Amino acid sequence: MDHKPIIQTSGLSYHYSRDVQTLFNINLLVERGSIYGFLGPNGSGKTTTLSLLLGLLANQKGDIEIFGQRLHANREAILGKIGSLIETPSLYGHLTARENLEVYRKTYGASKARVNEVLEIVGLYDSGKKAAKKFSLGMKQRLAIALALLPNPDLLILDEPTNGLDPAGIIELRALVKKLNREHGMTILISSHLLSEVEKVASHIGIIYKGKMLFQGLLSELQSFQQKGSRLLINTSDNEAASKLLQEYHPEEAEGMIAITLEDQLQIASIQRKLMLNNLDVYLLQPEESDLEQLFIDLISTHS
Amino acid sequence: MKLLTALRSELLKTKRTAGFYFTLIAAALIPAIFLLNILTGGSDLAAISKDPLNTMLEMDIQRSGLVFFPIFVILVCTLLPQVEYRNNTWKQVLTSPQTKANIFFAKFLNINLLVLLFLAANLVFMLLVIVVTHFSNPALNLLNQPLDELRLLVRIGNSYVTMLALCAFQFWLGLRFRNFIIPIAIGFALWFTGMMMTFEFQSGLVEFFPYSFQILPFMSAFQPKMAQVAWSSAGYAMLFLLIGFLDFRSKRMNA
Repeated sequence: MDHKPIIQTSGLSYHYSRDVQTLFNINLLVERGSIYGFLGPNGSGKTTTLSLLLGLLANQKGDIEIFGQRLHANREAILGKIGSLIETPSLYGHLTARENLEVYRKTYGASKARVNEVLEIVGLYDSGKKAAKKFSLGMKQRLAIALALLPNPDLLILDEPTNGLDPAGIIELRALVKKLNREHGMTILISSHLLSEVEKVASHIGIIYKGKMLFQGLLSELQSFQQKGSRLLINTSDNEAASKLLQEYHPEEAEGMIAITLEDQLQIASIQRKLMLNNLDVYLLQPEESDLEQLFIDLISTHS
Repeated sequence: MKLLTALRSELLKTKRTAGFYFTLIAAALIPAIFLLNILTGGSDLAAISKDPLNTMLEMDIQRSGLVFFPIFVILVCTLLPQVEYRNNTWKQVLTSPQTKANIFFAKFLNINLLVLLFLAANLVFMLLVIVVTHFSNPALNLLNQPLDELRLLVRIGNSYVTMLALCAFQFWLGLRFRNFIIPIAIGFALWFTGMMMTFEFQSGLVEFFPYSFQILPFMSAFQPKMAQVAWSSAGYAMLFLLIGFLDFRSKRMNA
């Protein structure tokens, strides 16, 4: 993997109105060849950031460099190498899949063969004369991705691409993203509000919350951070005795069970051994899934 | 070259939209009413007894130009930009590698192609009416009458040029408002004002009011001033396009 950044922003800030600041000093760094998961709850500033990267919003403060060039000085050249899908699919409902691609084919300098190629990639080659407005949401999403792939982009920006998709559609999309990255070498920036969704495809993660970047780095770094703060729930035949046995882990009472803050996964095995050796029956030994909200809280407390 | 590429995209988007069929239907309305009137022995038969061929064409251009043509322009200037709002496609358009100037002017050219199609289709439909009238009323001997081509071309040219100011203003409104009712309501109100100023108030300001320009070619008092009116229309059109473009350039896509 070439580690040169394909996207680099510095000090990016944005406000829609004077009183409400939407982004604060965003320093995004997306490495070439990576799948960058841009994570944050709804309203955290993901789409605003992506809209700034695509020139949909005028830059107010900070710099944006894409492919090593400043966006506002080289807008057309840069956009020619980017495929994007921002929020809902942007399609002409009265046109067929092929006609939708034909509208942009010459703008991107793509060949007719490329139209067939991208329709093949997303599985819409045989969609025939059916107008896009009659497509299912999954088909519309796939056609929008075909449109994003039309210029054979170096960078693919997908904003919440799984919104409205059924489980099968989500799995298909995940597989497609991985394939495009692996086989076509595309750098992919994919935004989502679901950590579980992003961690299945991303190599890098950026977390934004209330317009501020809380975390940016490798997925493995985030996972170790997540594990470090997560809790282990324990329920045994005698919780009082178990609490005394596990004093060194500073156990707490949690809804009739014992909760222990984990440092690493090895602690789980050692706790289990200790309980078994002291003849305590273990009914539950479960690391508490740290959801996104909890992770945000952990990150915020770390930052403060 | 890039403007032509953008225009090609616009033409493809117009394919199978109401805009194209609407143009043909709007262009056929006056010839159709004319034909019915002739076939049912209406008052038009008496009106075309002298120089029938040129009079029929003149009446068609005048009747279309006063009502149907301006209403058509107001509607088409709103309908075409609505394609992007209705399909939520502005984001895709604005993230494609083309300048905003190309996007803006390609859309305006596309509308003008439909306006020219209206004028051409209206003429073709009227020629069909003339052929039918020739056979239904052989005494008029329409197909053997001399055609004043120059006068016809000047009339059509005037119709187009005097409509440019209205067209540019409505185009700006059509791009500006997501709710299509607003540009249509403003357009109809101004068009009605133009009619009132010309016919009811007989205002001296009509030669400066863009929504009256399309009426003036049909008023004998303004014949000597037609060149000035045409230039005013072109000047207003450039001004409205400039303002519209500056507004479009600052267009913000809400995230």
